[in-house]
This record gives sequence, C-alpha cells and structure tokens, in this order.
Amino acid sequence: MNVLLRLANFFSPLTHYIAYILAYFFETLFMLIFITISLVAVIYIFRKYMARLQVRRGPNRVGKFGIFQMIADMMKLVQKESILPKKRDDLPYKVAPVVVMLGLFLGFALMPYGSFYYIGSLTVTHSSVSLVLLIAVIAIMPIGEILAGISSHNKYAMVGALRAVAKDVSFEVPMMITILALVMMASGQTSSPLNIDSIASSSRAFIAYGLVQPIGLGVFMISMIARASYSPFDLGESDSELVSGHSTEYTGMRFGIFYVGLFGSIFLGSMMVSTLYLGAYNGPFSGDVGFIYLVIKTWILVLISFTIWLSMPRIRIDKFVNFGWKYLLPASVINLILAGILTLGWSL
Amino acid sequence: MVIVIGIKEVEEPKKQIPIVGSLKGILLVAKHLFEKPATVEYPETKPYIAERFKFRIFLSLDDCVGCTLCEQVCPNLTIHMQPVDRENPRNKRKIYPDVNFGTCTVCRNCEEICPTDAIYLTHEFETSRTRNSFTYSPEELQNPEDEVKR
Amino acid sequence: MTEAEERQKWVDLNMGPQHPSTHGVLRLKVKLDGEIVKELEPVIGYLHRNAEKICELDYYCDSIIYFDRMDYVAAMNMEVGYLEAAEKLLGIPPPERVQWIRVIMAELSRVASHLVWTGAFGLDLGMLTPFFYAFIEREKILKIFTEVSGSRQEVNYMSIGGVYQDFNEKIVQEINEFCDQFPKKLEDMYDLFTKNDIFISRNKGIGVLPKEVALDYAVTGPMLRASGVPYDVRKAEPYLVYDKVNFDIPVSQKGDNLARFLVRFEEMRQSIKIVKQAISKLPEGPFFNPKAKKSLMIRLRGEGDVYARTESSKGELGVYIVGDGSVKPYRLRVRSPTLRNLSVLRYLAKDQMIADVVAISGTIDLVFGEVDR
Repeated sequence: MNVLLRLANFFSPLTHYIAYILAYFFETLFMLIFITISLVAVIYIFRKYMARLQVRRGPNRVGKFGIFQMIADMMKLVQKESILPKKRDDLPYKVAPVVVMLGLFLGFALMPYGSFYYIGSLTVTHSSVSLVLLIAVIAIMPIGEILAGISSHNKYAMVGALRAVAKDVSFEVPMMITILALVMMASGQTSSPLNIDSIASSSRAFIAYGLVQPIGLGVFMISMIARASYSPFDLGESDSELVSGHSTEYTGMRFGIFYVGLFGSIFLGSMMVSTLYLGAYNGPFSGDVGFIYLVIKTWILVLISFTIWLSMPRIRIDKFVNFGWKYLLPASVINLILAGILTLGWSL
Repeated sequence: MVIVIGIKEVEEPKKQIPIVGSLKGILLVAKHLFEKPATVEYPETKPYIAERFKFRIFLSLDDCVGCTLCEQVCPNLTIHMQPVDRENPRNKRKIYPDVNFGTCTVCRNCEEICPTDAIYLTHEFETSRTRNSFTYSPEELQNPEDEVKR
Repeated sequence: MTEAEERQKWVDLNMGPQHPSTHGVLRLKVKLDGEIVKELEPVIGYLHRNAEKICELDYYCDSIIYFDRMDYVAAMNMEVGYLEAAEKLLGIPPPERVQWIRVIMAELSRVASHLVWTGAFGLDLGMLTPFFYAFIEREKILKIFTEVSGSRQEVNYMSIGGVYQDFNEKIVQEINEFCDQFPKKLEDMYDLFTKNDIFISRNKGIGVLPKEVALDYAVTGPMLRASGVPYDVRKAEPYLVYDKVNFDIPVSQKGDNLARFLVRFEEMRQSIKIVKQAISKLPEGPFFNPKAKKSLMIRLRGEGDVYARTESSKGELGVYIVGDGSVKPYRLRVRSPTLRNLSVLRYLAKDQMIADVVAISGTIDLVFGEVDR
C-alpha cells in the first residue's frame, strides 16, 4: 500500500480521474515538503557539524541553537539585489539555476522511500526502467553548471565550467560500469533489475549489494562525491583558485539555488548509495519502518561525506582525470568481472 | 657565510599505503567533534582581560601640568593640546590634552612619559561610538566611559 | 605555430587584489594556456603605507609601533630587528635579562607566524579544518603576549634598551605550560597534513627552487633553507644570546613545496626547544637600561649609520638607520625578506598549473604589510 493509493481512495467520491490527479498532486506536494525539510536540515547540520569539528559553535544567534538561521539566510538572499553581468548571455544565465534545481528534484522524485507504518511508501514514480531514468536525470545538473559558467562571461566561471566538464567525463564512465555490475547481480534476484524499487527490495537487510561488491561501493561513493562536487573533488568551484567557479557571477537567490544544489546533491548522492548498495529501506526488524532505516543510512553517509569534505585537500584536475581513467575505470571493470562470476557461479 | 654545525636535515614522510593515511587524517579530524568549543560568545561572556591589558586613556585634570610631552611623544598625532578654562595653579598655560581614539594605537608612550602620572590607561575597552567623532575632550577623558555622551 | 600565434591563444587572467587565495592584497597578472600558467607578473603596492618615511618623522622610540605593523603576524621579530639597529646606533645595549626575554618572545612569535602560515596553506589547498586547529594554538601564544605586553598582535612590548615590563611568575608558568602541551598538538597537525595522499601529491616535486636560483634572487629564510643552503642569521651572525642556546637549523635538499612545509614545521619544534632553554636560563637583573629611562625617551640622539640583520620568521630582516645627531633618524630603510622571496614567484610559477601557482604562492609566506611597508 502506498501513499498514492491511499490518497486515491480518500478522494474516490470524486470521479476516478480527478481522484488520481489530486492524489498525484498531493503526493508530489508531500515529496516536495520532505525534500525541503531535508535540504534545510542538511545545510543546518553541515554548518553545526563543521563548526564542532573546527572547535567552534556554529550558528547560534537566530532562535535557540540557531535553528532559524537558514530561514534568515534565505530572507537575506531573497532581499538582495540581483546584480547581473553586463555581457551575459541572458537566457542561459537565467535558466542555469533552474536546470540545477530541476535535476535535483527529478532525482528525488525517482527514489523509492520505503514504507512508514500506515502512511505507506512514498514512491512517486513507478517505472520499470527507473534506474536508467535516474542516471539520465542526475546528468542534468552538470549541464546547469556548464551553462552558468559559459554564459556569465567571466574567465573564472569559464575555467570552472571547463573543469567541471573534464571532471564529469572522467568519473561517469566508471560509475556506469559499477551500476552495470549492480544490475547484473540484481538480475539474478528480480525480474525487473532496472527498477530501483525492485533492486532495493531484493537486497535483504544483511545481504546488501555493498557487502558483495565492496569495490563497486567504493567506486560509486567516489563518483557521488565527485558528482556533488565537494572537497577533495570540488574542482568546478575551487574556492582558492577560481573565486567560486561557475557561480562567481551569481548573486541573491540565484546563488542560493546553486548553494542548495550542492547540498541537495550530497543528500541525493548519499541516498542513492544507501538505496543501491546499503540495503535501502531494509532493516533488521519489521519492514514497516523502512523509511526510517533509509533516512538513518542516508544521514550516516551524509555525515561521513562532511567529514571527508572537511579533512581533505583539493586534488588537482589533471591528477583527478588520471585517477578516473587509470584507477577508477579498471577498478570498476574488475568489479564487473567479479560480479559476473558471483552471479553465474553462486547465483546470488 | 655558510654554517657547518647545528644543521638538521628534515626527513620526508615515509611512503605509505594509499588511502589508509587519509583515513587516519579523517579520524583525527572527527575526534575533535566532542571537544569544547573555543569560541568566546562576546556580549554574553566577557573575554579574558589580562592584568596589563590597557585601552581607554584617562586624564586627571588636577595633576596635569600642561607640559605637552604626551603630544610630542605620540607617534601618530593622536593627542593635541586644547585650551580649557579651568583654575589649576600647576597648569599655568591652561592647556590639556585631548585624544582621538580613532587613531590611537595604544602604544602607552604617553603614560610612560608623563612626569606627574596625570595621563594613564585603564582596562576599559568598549568605546564604540556611532554618531559623534572619536575625539574625547579633556573633560570627557576625566570621566569613565558610561558618563561620556555618545 | 610561431610564438606570436601561440601567444594569441593565451588568456589574460587577473588574480587579485580581492581574490580569496592571494594572501592580503597581492595581484597576479597571469597568462593562461588552458590550465597552464605561461607568464606571471606579481603587482605589489596595494598596502603601501609609507612606514619608512613615517619612521623618519618620529622619535626613535616611536618607530617601534610601525615595525609592529609591518609584519603583523610576527610583530616581536620585527621589534627585535629594529631594536638591534637602533640600540647599536644610540649606544644603549640591553641588559642580559632583556636579551633572554627578547629571545623567548621572538621565538614564540616565530611559532605564531608559522602557525598562521600552516593554516593559510591548508586553505590554499582546500583543507578547511587545520586552519582552526592552528589558530587555536596561536591564540594561546597571543594570550601569553597579552599577559606580557597588554596587546595581542601589535604588541609594542620592547622599548629601546629594555622591555615594557618584566616577566612575573605567572607568565613564566604560562609559557612553560604552552611548551609542554604544544608539541603534541603540533605532531597531530603534522600527521593530518603529511599522512594525506592528496596533500603529498599536491606538494612533492611542485615548485622546485634550485639552490643557485634561490641565491640569485636573494631568497632567505625557510625558503632558502628548503633549497639546501644552511644559512640562518641566528647561527651565521648570532645576535642577542642565540650563541648561548643549543638548536639546529632545519635544511632540505629538495627545494619543493613539501620541503618548505617540512622546514617550517621543524623550525617550530626548534623554536619550542629554544624557548624551553631560555626559560630555564633566564637570569635575574634589571629589565631596562638606565641610560634609556622612560622620561628620556624623546631625547635619545644618534649619529652615524648602522645596519643590523636578524632572522625574522620570513627570512633575513635588515634595518639600516642613518642618524644625524638629532632626536629623529635621518634615513631609515628596511630590507624586507618577503619582498625578495616574492620576486622568485615569477620563476617558480612558469609552466605550472594554476592550482599549483596558488599552492606555491602559499609556501612563500606572504605578509603584505611587510612587502609594501
């Protein structure tokens, strides 16, 4: 039973079509509320966590423990004058933040969230090829960054965008191959291995795919770090060299969207890793609290990501391209071969 | 001139297994999570003030003899002598120093050179102002910070 | 393709003066071929405050505060440099106890300066956290400075022929406490940097400064020692009481970024060693020379010319003073170490990647108050 059917039942006195339209609308609304709360929480907890690692206090002025700091920041960003560069390429400049946001929300819409007691599971998209869709959708966000970099007519932004392209090219091929290995292994378990939901439900609590494919887990995690573009792989917006990369010329809420996009992609990436490799919403006890398990796994990964971010220096772009093609790609191919042997030999 | 004794060749860090060292660094950073923050939340808790910490200049008009030594020694023309109409048998010229805290570097030279200890510095440091200029007239220098109009 | 056509392809990039990575107000005019820096020209002078000329307009005792503000992260070292020259010119040697106190303060100041450098270098490479650990340690040193002089950074502690006020037991105890707990924190920080693979790969073999080039550019300080020249004014021409303490000067033959990093870390360890020895050897006695009593401050007259060199945290600091018999110096000139060290950046940055140029300019340890004066 999921949220959609419950809502449709609730609206069933209306005609069938209207009930479903309303059900979809409200389900999407629930998802948006969940994403918004998660993003605000990610940013707040990042700032608090960073502060505590650096022996500081972090935000503590707006509300108790600075809980409303994010709202205050958003108000500030909205009020700020939007300064536009004179020689910009107008349409791409204005579209770029929207593209980033669109990629982020589409990515969240494709995730299976697991059930939560009577409410049921909040899975918006039911498609038999949702994994392919997800991979297509998370490739949208870099397009927004590249558009931003090229259209804002700034050399720093330009170099940042070019670096982002080089970075994306070098980690996406290994990422695809690890996912191929995952699908290969899942095909022994379910009849529709391209559906994220069936991959997630086929990985039992302790036979998560991450345990049988540790190399795949590592490569995918590194790819997600590079995808979200934070240190050590924040090549597109490296603070100390390119002022802030592709978002140099953005101010106000447009900049805020890029900022939220960074944290959103950390959250999405952690969620993807925990869904695909760490057993998704499966846990040791009953399946009714799957949503909680997913959230806990995601948050642990988010905190690990933050710790990596704060303790690593930035890798150089040519070293990263080398790393992608010379280490990640062979590792992912080895993982593919091992996965094939495991799938055929032991029919896991 | 090149030295031969007391030279120590620095050692480069040993080669190590990749990633393991980085994990150690991550753990080292994560250990600090449970440390007490080093921040001093200023308006609520007052910062530590050392015994020799000094900022606000005070002037006792009765002791001042108007010798202008403080004006001479001041490195960046922070102190100027002003005529003040005040009966003081020791100060025949009736001139007293005023201080511009906008340029004062708290070098304490005026305190050290003053022959009668008329000009001295105290612990008071919250001298922020919004509207008026930073120049304190000789009468204002006599009063503590709360009584000086801002 | 001819060279002219090649140059047509290059992109001009202007880094600074308000760029997050250039320490202070350095401006770098960079010509880029893709990510490779083909030409680089540092532009300085954005923090020029005319300090030398102002010193010439003031009494000898007043110039100290301007030396504080030249190298504002190692103020005590600058004061020692100025007073070495001024006391020689005025003929007022400091008493024995003052010399030891100055050694302690200068070495603590050197540690503070290197800690700032460590943190800022981490930021240059994208490491956010070590900056705060370094600054927490530096704050402890600044607390000692507050305890002795009353100010954190622009201390104005030393005066001609003496110091502002004597050490008391509390200060000695605080310095001892700092020396006991600091080495462990320093080793933690050292591990955090050197155990990291990315840090090593970003620094090893990058920005190699050969010995001959370093000597040609008159580079001094840790940069010169990292290039394999064991030159340190504290050993070569001991001033104060540096000939009575036992310490080593760290040297590396590699000359790359990593060597400079290691040399600076080793210098911090040696400085703590010096402070420990000096605290135990601190003699009793007056803390100022009676010839330079406070009431005589503005009547000190000097004649002739004098040049004194000391080892500041950045390199060899030279101060040249000409006195004409009046109460103010006729000419005062500072040989700032960072300016010479900065001039080598053009050589080091050629054909490096832009990320490496930021790291290399980080290892020079730039403080713009001193470069522009």
